[in-house]
Amino acid sequence: MQFITRRALFQALAGALAHRLSAGPASTASRRLVLVTIGGIRRQESFSKQGLVNIPHFYSDLLPQSLFFPYTVNEGVTSHFNSIASILTGVWQHVDDWGSQKPAQPTLFNYIQKLRPGHPNDCWVVTSNKQLTANISPGVNVILAKQLLIEAVERIINGQTTRKKLERDQLLQEMTAVLETDYERIGWGVPARSNFQDPAIKQTFIDALGNFIHGPGAPVSGDELTFLVGCEVLRRLQPAMLMMNFSDVEVAHSGAYSLHVGGIRRSDILCHRLWQFLQASPELKDNTTLLIMNEFGRDPDGSSTNGFFNHRTNTETCRMAWSMVLGPAVRKPEVVERVVRQIDFAPSAGSWLGLEVEQAAGQRLPEFAG
Amino acid sequence: MTSMAPPAYKELIERLPRTFVPALNDQFRQWDALFPAEQRLLKAQLDWLDHLPPEQFKQLFAPLQDVESRMDLPRWKPGAAGLSIQDTGIIARSSYYPQWRAEVEKVFGRVDEAIAGSLTRQPMLIVCILPAGLPPAIEPLWPQLAGQGMWVQLAAPFGKMEHDFVSSLARRKLPAGIEAEEGTWVIECRSQLSPLVEPAGAVALSWNALEELRREFLSRLNNIRRDLQSADQITEELRRLDLRRYLGPAINQRPRVREFLRAVLLSGNGSLVFNNSFVQWGTSEALRRAQPQAMIAGFGIRQKLKPFSSVVLFEDQHAGNPVPDQDDPAGSLIDGAMLAQYVYLSAQGLSAYQGRCLTMMAIEDSDRLLLLGAQRPLPSGPVQAEQLKDYALTWLSHE
Repeated sequence: MQFITRRALFQALAGALAHRLSAGPASTASRRLVLVTIGGIRRQESFSKQGLVNIPHFYSDLLPQSLFFPYTVNEGVTSHFNSIASILTGVWQHVDDWGSQKPAQPTLFNYIQKLRPGHPNDCWVVTSNKQLTANISPGVNVILAKQLLIEAVERIINGQTTRKKLERDQLLQEMTAVLETDYERIGWGVPARSNFQDPAIKQTFIDALGNFIHGPGAPVSGDELTFLVGCEVLRRLQPAMLMMNFSDVEVAHSGAYSLHVGGIRRSDILCHRLWQFLQASPELKDNTTLLIMNEFGRDPDGSSTNGFFNHRTNTETCRMAWSMVLGPAVRKPEVVERVVRQIDFAPSAGSWLGLEVEQAAGQRLPEFAG
Repeated sequence: MTSMAPPAYKELIERLPRTFVPALNDQFRQWDALFPAEQRLLKAQLDWLDHLPPEQFKQLFAPLQDVESRMDLPRWKPGAAGLSIQDTGIIARSSYYPQWRAEVEKVFGRVDEAIAGSLTRQPMLIVCILPAGLPPAIEPLWPQLAGQGMWVQLAAPFGKMEHDFVSSLARRKLPAGIEAEEGTWVIECRSQLSPLVEPAGAVALSWNALEELRREFLSRLNNIRRDLQSADQITEELRRLDLRRYLGPAINQRPRVREFLRAVLLSGNGSLVFNNSFVQWGTSEALRRAQPQAMIAGFGIRQKLKPFSSVVLFEDQHAGNPVPDQDDPAGSLIDGAMLAQYVYLSAQGLSAYQGRCLTMMAIEDSDRLLLLGAQRPLPSGPVQAEQLKDYALTWLSHE
């Protein structure tokens, strides 16, 4: 496997300054962060010579405008909950992978809530990953978007509803019904029922589901629903921080390599669309930083853990991820070639948000704007 | 079946690192379900350790025991057998897990190196077959492997010679000392090779033929609630499930194969979800555990995932979905090529196959075959069916 060369990366950056927006810095109080994590993607299927075909938008559209860290190491537990918790806290976490325990240190969400108490809609998580229970950061609004889809599909195919076919309109009705009656059971964690019953919030979800069912491109996957719900949350609620987790790539655990690669390509498209969405929004354009991180790679071909299926080995293939920053936290588009750690991003993004992430073990990255 | 008296190693087990004990007890508990190769290997490992001078024994395990002493390990009872999902999670999320894993690998590397000479080795053969009906590959298949082997021109598409070739492998006389379950295995998506080899005593597992059993496993696994206790409980139920009513007589008369199948279906890696994953994972596990002399992996064409049903892979993909079934030849080509390569790589990591394994990578409707590990050339010119068969049989009979 060959990583793309320094020359190729610098060529991709050519002209980046011309793209760079010249807006002045927003005040820290109005700054917003959108963090996207993507389940395991190996370098050989992404930022490598043979992998670029899977990530045309990351490479050609986003990288030239970005602060790009091609060597972002995950030195912690290479599982989803622990990796995401480590990114959010700036400390390597070693808690239950199934989400039954809270991270041992405060998350960026906690720091935001501490700085700005009394803003219940400041912190949102929209996720495709069912392990991301409300324990990821208590008090945060957590929407298990993919789980809603799963629940509705299961009800239909198991005959637990009057709706009998997996047709778009019937699915919309079923998802809406689940939303109305069973949102707690499927894991939607909002701090208070009254918060969920807020008509504006409820309409956010209804609109997102409608976009999913009737939107262009006939979306069907969990990540597409997560994307659409996330966009509605951004559009209507404009939280200080939204985290979205894409997990379609995790079909790799079942060994369908073509579908895993399809998941990578979908992440590439969705992240680009998310960036376009932010740039098209006058309210978000100049004050929202988009931070995209893959949680880890996957195991190497020929490993005793069955290669791309899993992400358990203590290898560079599994531990070396990448990170991309877009928006006002980017002082200038740049490829940072030194190795950085995933835990460095909480203090870096936190500092840009005006937070004192005092319990983070990671170091603030100087390339982030202050 | 070989027998082994676990008490013979009681004193040894007490001296081993804590994390070894539950797994080792589990191996003893299901001793009769282990294949001869596994029994021979385990016995050789334990015998070697049992006779290791105390000072060397201490040196071998000291780094691992040091790491263990710093891990917050579960408090297993002395006779505990097997690790629960919870136990595995505790070990895997420990800060010391990478060091622990590295030390375990070092120990096994040392032990396996020491006993390598004591285990009999045979010439081995692996045949990976991709199905007919795949689209032409945009790029040559297996570019990384091709550099290590050679493409062979056949006189006809492999599919034309496949049945006779595989039947002949199954009917060959096994070398002395090899039990029937170490002779020939077929693991396939369809059920086209199984009927050819089963009468000859070969082991055959077919994804299609196992549909009822797979459905039962999926149905029960779908009942897991979102907690580890529930996952452990359902897994334990499936470990105790009587499989005989779901299986044909050929597998039912082989308890070891039956238990092997259970273990494959319970160990994830897509074996319950996708036909080609079942073939790859089952084959890799058979190579590791049973170490058959001839292994045939028959990949297939999987169906396209249907809209929305695809988010619930463990559910019946047909239920409630108005979209008709449709094959996915393009996706199957990508999956099959990658997974066939994984079969080859799995074998390369096993001492029983290293340096003594001939591998054939074939596509049913292609007259080219990738040959790896050949120690003598095939006849020149397009290779006839008889020549290919003779070549493989001669290799397997080579002392």
